[in-house]
Parts: sequence; C-alpha cells; structure tokens
Amino acid sequence: MSTAEAVRTDTASTATTAVSVDGVDMDFGTGTLAVRDASFTLETGRFLTILGPSGSGKTTLLRLIAGFQTPTRGEIRIHGQRISAKPPHKRSIGMVFQRLALFPHMTAAENVAFPLKMRRHDPATTPDKVDAYLRLVRLDGLGDRRIHELSGGQQQRVAIARALVFEPDLLLLDEPLAALDRKLREEMQLEFRRIQKELGVTTINVTHDQREALVVSDEIIVMDHGEIQQAARPSEMYRNPANAFVANFIGVTSFLDGRFDGGALDVGGVSCAGTPVSKLDPGSPARGAIRAEQVRLGAPGTTLEACDTQLDGVVDDVIFEGERLVYVVTVPALGDAALRIYHHDPAAQDLYGAGAAVRVGWTEADLRIFKKTGEPA
Amino acid sequence: MISRSQRIVIWGLVWIALIALSAPTLVVIGASFTSGDIITFPPDGFSLKWYDRVARAGELRAAFFRSLWVATICTLVAMPVGTLAGIALSRYRLRFGNVVQVYLLLPFTIPLIGSGIGLMLVFGAWGALGNLWPIGVACAVINLPFIIWSVSSSAALLDPDLELAAANCGAGRVQTFFAVTLPAVMPGVITGSLLMFILAMNEFLVSLLLVDARTMTLPVQIYNSIRSIITPDLAAVSVVFIAVAAAAIALLDRLVGLEIFLKSK
Repeated sequence: MSTAEAVRTDTASTATTAVSVDGVDMDFGTGTLAVRDASFTLETGRFLTILGPSGSGKTTLLRLIAGFQTPTRGEIRIHGQRISAKPPHKRSIGMVFQRLALFPHMTAAENVAFPLKMRRHDPATTPDKVDAYLRLVRLDGLGDRRIHELSGGQQQRVAIARALVFEPDLLLLDEPLAALDRKLREEMQLEFRRIQKELGVTTINVTHDQREALVVSDEIIVMDHGEIQQAARPSEMYRNPANAFVANFIGVTSFLDGRFDGGALDVGGVSCAGTPVSKLDPGSPARGAIRAEQVRLGAPGTTLEACDTQLDGVVDDVIFEGERLVYVVTVPALGDAALRIYHHDPAAQDLYGAGAAVRVGWTEADLRIFKKTGEPA
Repeated sequence: MISRSQRIVIWGLVWIALIALSAPTLVVIGASFTSGDIITFPPDGFSLKWYDRVARAGELRAAFFRSLWVATICTLVAMPVGTLAGIALSRYRLRFGNVVQVYLLLPFTIPLIGSGIGLMLVFGAWGALGNLWPIGVACAVINLPFIIWSVSSSAALLDPDLELAAANCGAGRVQTFFAVTLPAVMPGVITGSLLMFILAMNEFLVSLLLVDARTMTLPVQIYNSIRSIITPDLAAVSVVFIAVAAAAIALLDRLVGLEIFLKSK
C-alpha cells in the first residue's frame, strides 16, 4: 500500500507500470466488503503474489483484475488502460484457473491453439507456436493426448501454455497449484518461476501457501478480511512484517501479550526487550512476536550470548520435523506463554526431552512489538 | 472385505434383478421363433415364419416407418430445446431457476392420459390431427425432462470457469457456446437424443389419442391387432422393437462410451 500513493495515477502512467489498482472496493452485498480500498502498482515483468487465508479477498481481487467482475468503487488499469473499457475476450490477459478449465473435448495441442484461433493469429504460424509453447512447458510430443489422458502435472502445463501462447501483457494464476501434492506443487512452483523469467511476462499469482509466495515472487501482497495488510519484497516481508497478522501468517511465530512500557514489552511485570514496529503509546496494549529461529535455547543456568532478555523455561513438547526439531517451551515468568523454537540438529541428537528445564533468550531486534488489535493470534 | 455370506446374498439379489428384468424380453424373443400358430413359451419348435409374415404385412411395415418418422421429428424438436434448457439450468444462474426446473418436471407429474387429452384438444383445435408431426411434437413435450437431465448432468461436470477460460482465450459469447460449451456437453446431448428417439419409438398412450387410421404408429398398430387376435407375429414385431433399441444403445456406446453414460464421471 505504500507504493500506491506514489502512483495515484493519471492516464499517462509510465510505460513500466503494467498494472495499477487504485482504491478498489468490491461489495457482493454480504454485509462486509470482499475487497476494501485495495491499491497497488506492479511494474512490467515482475512476479507478484497475493497471499492470504481463504476468504481474505485475494481471489476476488484477481478476478477483478481479470475483468470478470467490475469493482464497486475504484479503478484498475493495465498498461494505463481501464480494464472495464474492453470486454473480457478483447483483453490481453492470460489466466490459469483454479481447476484449470481446460477444454475437455480437445487435445492438449488444440487447447493451446485455441487462443490463437480465437484471436485470429496467422493460421500458418499456429502449429509452430503451439509446438514452441508445448516445448516451453516440457510437453513436447504429448500434443495429441486428450486432456483426461494427461497427469495432473501435465494438465497444469497445458493450462500454462494455453495462457501464454498468445503473448499476453499479463499472466494471472488463480491458485492453480492448490490441488497438487506437495512434491509436484514445489516442482511446479519452480516451473512457474523459470517460465516467468524466460518470457519476462508480468505475473500475478494468488495463493494461501506462504512458502510458495516466498519462493516464486518478486513481490508479495498479504491480504486479510478484504484489506491489503502489507506489500513488500519476500525477504522484506519475512524480516519486517508490518503487523501481527502478517507475522503470524508468514513463518512460525510465537506471540507474547502485554503492554508497551515506552521501550520494551511488559508481560505481567517482566520486561521483554523488543523493537516497536507500529506507533505505540506508552501503556497501551501490545503484542510481541518472535520467530521460531530467533529464540536462542541453552542449558539451565547458562548465560546466552548477546541476548537482551533471558528467562527460564520448561520443554513442553519436542516435535521432530526431519531436518529440524521444534521445541515448545513454556516460560512461567511470562504467564506460561509457549514459545516455539527451531533447533537444527546436524549431530542428530535430541538435546532436551519433554519436561527438561532450559534457558531461552532473544535480542532486542528479534522481538517485534505490534499494536494489539482485537483479533486472536 | 465382503464375507462369504454377504457375497451370496448380493449375488442372489443381482441374479433375481437380472432375471426379473430380462424375463419378459426373453419370453417374447423365444415366442417369436415358434413354429406353432399361437403364442407360447417355451416355443413350439423353431421357425422364422412369423418374421416372414411380419415382413410381408404391409400395415405393420407402414406403421413401423411412421414410428421411425415420429421418433425422428421428436428427436429433432427435443434436441435444440433440451440442450439449451439443460445448459441454461446447470451453467447459468437463472432468475426463477427452481421454478423453471419444477415446471419442466410437470410432464412427469401429470398423468400421461391427462397430457394426452390436453394435446389432443390443442392439436384438434389447430386442425393438425391426421398428420404425423403432432405425434412427434407430443412425444418431445412429454419426454423433454429426459434430455434436459441428460444434458444438464453432463454440463454440471464441467469446470465452472470453462466459459470464462474461453473468454480469456479471446472467444466471444457465440464462439464460446459453439466452440466450447456445446462440444463439451455433447456426450449428454447424444445420450439424451438417443433416449428421446427410443422413447418416441415406443410411445403408446399419448399416440393412441392422437392417431387415426392414416397415422397409426407401430405400438398402436400392435395394440389394435391384439384386440382382434393374438398371434406370434406380434412377438416378432416386438423383437424388431427390441432390436431397434439395442441398435440405439450400440450407437451410444460407439459415440459416447457407455461408461460415461452409466458413471457420473
């Protein structure tokens, strides 16, 4: 949302702005707005992911950009042109749908050729283009297969080729990977990234998978309850979440509820070193957030190096995740608050069992203090 | 796992159902090959003489071709109407969609004799009786729900975004319908149309009210023959009927694949 004001645009927006969304509301008449005051801009050639839980309005926003619905308020422009100025079939937008929406009565190659036929490209060049795009998505030789003869991953690839073959200005991905198993999903994420880099097509992807957002995107927008919570690059988003919702949605985060005492977070009389993120009045309710990889763990009685806050805790549970362990540690001094702590374990040894006494600590920079809002963590 | 006793019970039920369903057909087929002069089962010897009789009977043959013509008219009327209605009911959010659905079921809930008398009055007032086409139209009207169901169940299987995807590919509304929606529901259209053809071919009660001596369809012709005398040639005609239905099913299998017709997906 920070970039939005900068480009509160005129019609002559710069050539590098591919998509501009300006003050968009969408009201389906359900009592709450599906999208509220959404604004952002996207530069040509960038890969943006809109990330949010189900019902956050992310798919609605994507469908507004695709022009399938008209916003109640606000403007959406693609390369400076209002999206509502043209009917859907005249727009230069390729889309990969949630359930792919491949044409079941056509072969893979016929599906890919369809946009070329409908958009009246030169029929003489069609077979070459279809071949080229099938090769791009690594389906060479499978063009004659019917859709139901292809595997889930192969169908994904047909849908991508169909969305890209007419060289659209904008590619939209409506959670097409949600139905795939994890291994295939991760493979396809990298495929999306490779193809997007290869063609340089401006892309907007919608997902609820935070890992996917971090892996594939140049930029991320996090949405909740129809509102954009934060727009940032992946590393920036991860390191500097703008509020407790974003901190919770991306990464594994533990929360401490207390009051802001002017410099640190006061949890039941215990001062926890931390850095305020939002503007906070001294004495106001606040919520501290700390990532699982940022909590240091040590043997009881030891002094943890460079930690501004150090407290005694008890291991409540140890979760084995393969490449790492997650310790769940309760801290009596903080009202039995539970902290989740990652422990990477190259030596393959469990350091502590359940019930063991431990020492936990963190630096001032690690604990981020947010204004406390009504919603639960 | 199914236990042994469960298996016996299930197979027992399956066989009872199969026998009950096929017994009348088997009896008729058997009786048609009799060499005797009355309908009996098991048949009295074997001969094709009743088929020979049927093939020579000009009245029966004429009625058979009239029935084919009626079934063709019925299918030609029902195909566009049923296809559009089926697609509309399952693909578009219609105002009063539920009301339309119930209205389209009316031909099922009203006794056939009632619809038959209604149609007779309407066609009579128009002075259309005595032609074959009113019978075809009447068959289309009373059996319309079958093709609508067939098409809409086929359409309901499609991706809800299919038309949006077509628009996204650059297809306008008309192109989308003819290049995407219609071909995608074609299995349902073919199934429904063949069903309409068979039903019109076999339709009896409503036809009985609409035909006269010049437009007698085969089922009515058979019924009239029974009233005078029951001879094995009627069994032979019935077998011809069964053969037509079997041919339609074979055609369905070739065009659509029976597994699509029988399975929901």
